[in-house]
Amino acid sequence: MRRGAIVRLAVIAIGAGLVLSFPAAAGDPYMLTVGITIVNYAVLATAWNFVGGFIGYISLGHSALSGLGAYGTALLIAAGLPSFVALFAAAALVALLAVPIGAAALRVRGASFVIVSIALVLILLLVFQSWASLTGGSRGLVVPRPFPGLHRAEHHLVFFFLFAALLAGTLLAWWLIDRSRFGLGLKAIREDEDKSQSLGIPTFAFKLIVFVVSAAFTALGGGLYALWFGDLDPVFQFSVLTGSTMVLMALLGGVRHLFGPLLGAVVVGAALESFKLAYGDTPLHLVATGLLLGGVVMFMPEGVIPALSSLWRRRFGPQEASIREVTAAALLDRARHEPAERVVQEADRTGGGR
Amino acid sequence: MPSGALVFQTVVLGVLLGGLYALLAAGLTLYFGVMRVVMIAHSAFLILAAYLAWYFQLATGLDPLLSLPITVPVFFAVGVAMQRLLLARLQPATRTMMSVLLTFAIAVVIEGALGSLFTGTQHRIQLGYSGASLELLGARVAVVKLLAFAMAAAAMLALYVVMTRSRFGQALRATIQHPEAAKLVGIPTDRVVGYGFGLGLATAAIGGTALALDSTIYPSLHWRWIGPLMAIIVVGGLGSVVGTAIAAMALGMVMSLLQIPLGTTWAQTGFYLALFATLAIRPQGFFGGRLAKRF
Repeated sequence: MRRGAIVRLAVIAIGAGLVLSFPAAAGDPYMLTVGITIVNYAVLATAWNFVGGFIGYISLGHSALSGLGAYGTALLIAAGLPSFVALFAAAALVALLAVPIGAAALRVRGASFVIVSIALVLILLLVFQSWASLTGGSRGLVVPRPFPGLHRAEHHLVFFFLFAALLAGTLLAWWLIDRSRFGLGLKAIREDEDKSQSLGIPTFAFKLIVFVVSAAFTALGGGLYALWFGDLDPVFQFSVLTGSTMVLMALLGGVRHLFGPLLGAVVVGAALESFKLAYGDTPLHLVATGLLLGGVVMFMPEGVIPALSSLWRRRFGPQEASIREVTAAALLDRARHEPAERVVQEADRTGGGR
Repeated sequence: MPSGALVFQTVVLGVLLGGLYALLAAGLTLYFGVMRVVMIAHSAFLILAAYLAWYFQLATGLDPLLSLPITVPVFFAVGVAMQRLLLARLQPATRTMMSVLLTFAIAVVIEGALGSLFTGTQHRIQLGYSGASLELLGARVAVVKLLAFAMAAAAMLALYVVMTRSRFGQALRATIQHPEAAKLVGIPTDRVVGYGFGLGLATAAIGGTALALDSTIYPSLHWRWIGPLMAIIVVGGLGSVVGTAIAAMALGMVMSLLQIPLGTTWAQTGFYLALFATLAIRPQGFFGGRLAKRF
């Protein structure tokens, strides 16, 4: 086995150990709920990263999908299904619904796609607030607990592990796609959609499939939240802010990396929770979120992991000789600003040039 | 069947609302034209201007319209600064996506700041003429609504004159049409783009003051505006001020009419349905030129 693979396995084992031992270390139930919230964020951010990371379409509207998953689960339980059957049925329904939504939204690129994604959240917020006879409107919708016999602390404990399992499943799916031919096609779309289409990649079908996969995992995350929290309000479920938090986490960690969104979720989730603890539920947390997002967009659009790892490499590692992931756009951009000679050398080194 | 008077009244109100939409959408079109940037924070600045007008009236007791000589230049300067210091520094390759996120972040900061400074409660300007209304062919129209429309129309006219008659407007249109060619004939495009951004934000200042005259304001109100405005610019097709204005008027009127059978909340969904329908039928918008295809 290569050294890199061993290191990677060790990191994963340590990470899993840390996650699984968290409830014992957390001590009080409050810390445990913070942990659950963060793992929930990590699930959503990783699910978002199927679209944002692979094809580079930035969706600010994924809270629409998680909200639909949450409400779907709640309404299916009300219709008589057992809790966890309802959870998976709701996710399947959301995935089905994601086909027409994706087909409409993925026709347009760039900023139009973001607009559509925001519009999706706003329209669902309107519908779920107004259709009070079905959704309870602003009074909220109570979701029955799946394990009525459990105490509060036990309830939290069970759900921590359920969320952790969902996170593991989501990460596994992302990793599998990342290694597959399908994933290669998706990344080609991210770098240059027109060129990849001309090379014979069925871009629309690929985009749609990955959008549906993303929707299913996002809906599972939302549905599990509904089962855990037990009370839904349209304002919080269909909030553009929640959607933007997913973007912030994924961007901060690095959208090209498997664990980027998870890392971002830990950092941003912990920051948001401690902020809430220190200042209460004031509008100031909006300011903090906005400044953080703006800072990441301005100074670290590639995320923490690339920034840190390049620092690490410059310091300790040997100069890289193998193929490195550089966006075509970044290379092009550099070509405009740097003397041509250097860029050609760089392209030779990364295997991109002739 | 609603009575004819009610329908006529609704149409008049729809036109008045459409005027405000048209002004704000013109600002969004400007940003997009000069920089291919979709400015999510536009409506947040609109609400900020409304708050400033409200606070101006509260603090000085003067008519909120008198705040315009202050807010318009300030917003213009903020717009120029925003373009030069923030948006121009994004990587060109990913600018369209990242600018959406950046302006979204700015919108959230403004919302949070308004919420912490003035609390989340609703505010409303009380004026001597707040309750006054005019009879117009059987339709009763509040004076403040007429005033808001007049301001929007005047601002649109001023924008039109600047764009078509002045040397700066010529440079701005040249920059929108072909930045490289504009640079070749000696137009300082960087500066022109900055001023274009400032002009766009100035429309938000005027629109916000007009909005403050006749509606209740609260920090999260901008979400109510951004959706319809986005729908309008997509339906109108980006890059065409006239197309956007027509779309704004048409949608404003249709939504007003839909309010009669559906009520205010459900009528709002009409904007989004129009947005999705446009993308399904004509993704480049109904009046869009070649700019829209790149959008």
